[in-house]
Amino acid sequence: MRRAPAALLRLLLGALFVWAAAAKLPDMAGFAESVANYRVLPPGWVPLLAAALVGVELVAGAALVAGWWPRAAAAVLALLLLVFAAALSQALLRGIDLSCGCFGGKETASWGAVGRDLALFALTIASLALGPGRLTAPGAGAAP
Amino acid sequence: MPKALEMAALVALGAAVGLGANALSPRPAPVRAKVYSVAEASGGACAGPEEAAAPAPRISVAEASALCQSCLAAFVDARGAGEFAQGHVANAVHLPPSGHPDEGAALDELRQRPLVVVYDGDDSCAVADEVAARLRRAGLADVRVLSGAWPAWAAAGAPAAAGACVSCGHAEGHP
Repeated sequence: MRRAPAALLRLLLGALFVWAAAAKLPDMAGFAESVANYRVLPPGWVPLLAAALVGVELVAGAALVAGWWPRAAAAVLALLLLVFAAALSQALLRGIDLSCGCFGGKETASWGAVGRDLALFALTIASLALGPGRLTAPGAGAAP
Repeated sequence: MPKALEMAALVALGAAVGLGANALSPRPAPVRAKVYSVAEASGGACAGPEEAAAPAPRISVAEASALCQSCLAAFVDARGAGEFAQGHVANAVHLPPSGHPDEGAALDELRQRPLVVVYDGDDSCAVADEVAARLRRAGLADVRVLSGAWPAWAAAGAPAAAGACVSCGHAEGHP
């Protein structure tokens, strides 16, 4: 009975990450500047990791939507959300005034953004636990 | 439990897709260059000389104050919202490094004056330099940074006001 809610949760989470990645694509330089402002990465790594991060969001989100390795995709996204929450928290604790870089917009970093990341983390873990539900790609397997 | 191999494959594929998408982006991240944070890019200790942004020309409090009183200069406050609310240059636009909710309107307002003076809260002017560089990239021709920053302006008793930035959506009461 829980297969339909599981599928819905998976589709919504996947779509959210695809959208978050797509919103960053028109201004990758701006996103790299946002990443640099967290002051946790060496400057030489920032543009590469920023680009890679957007790609991982995009691919894992799309995989979740398509039901292609859904558990692995959910696990990757859960780890990303933990990283986002930790990066935001350290910036806020250090008093760094920055744009969080979330969804490619100008949203200022805040504890609300940390809470949102942790809530999404909980939903992603729920998706991981519930499994893909119905509507998975043929041969994707991993049904609960 | 998800297979580690599948997770690694997704990350590797994602990284490759991200680098490809970056190359196609209208404003790609400069993958062969270093990208510094706001503070570092403006002459901080970690910035290499070849990568550090050229600092904007300085302007003294006395000169800026005269331009303020004759309405010949626009002022930009690059500090945080709390500091802005406690006190700022009269009619200053609040534009921290994190940006303005309506950046286009803020830039249009600044373009009304022949000169823009940016200031922050400490005399290293690192944050003001970054915002000044951004304004220059946006096409503003004459952008300068206030020597001595806000403390020097306040100490000189130059025109000031208090209250939050209304257009930023923080609170009411912008003077």
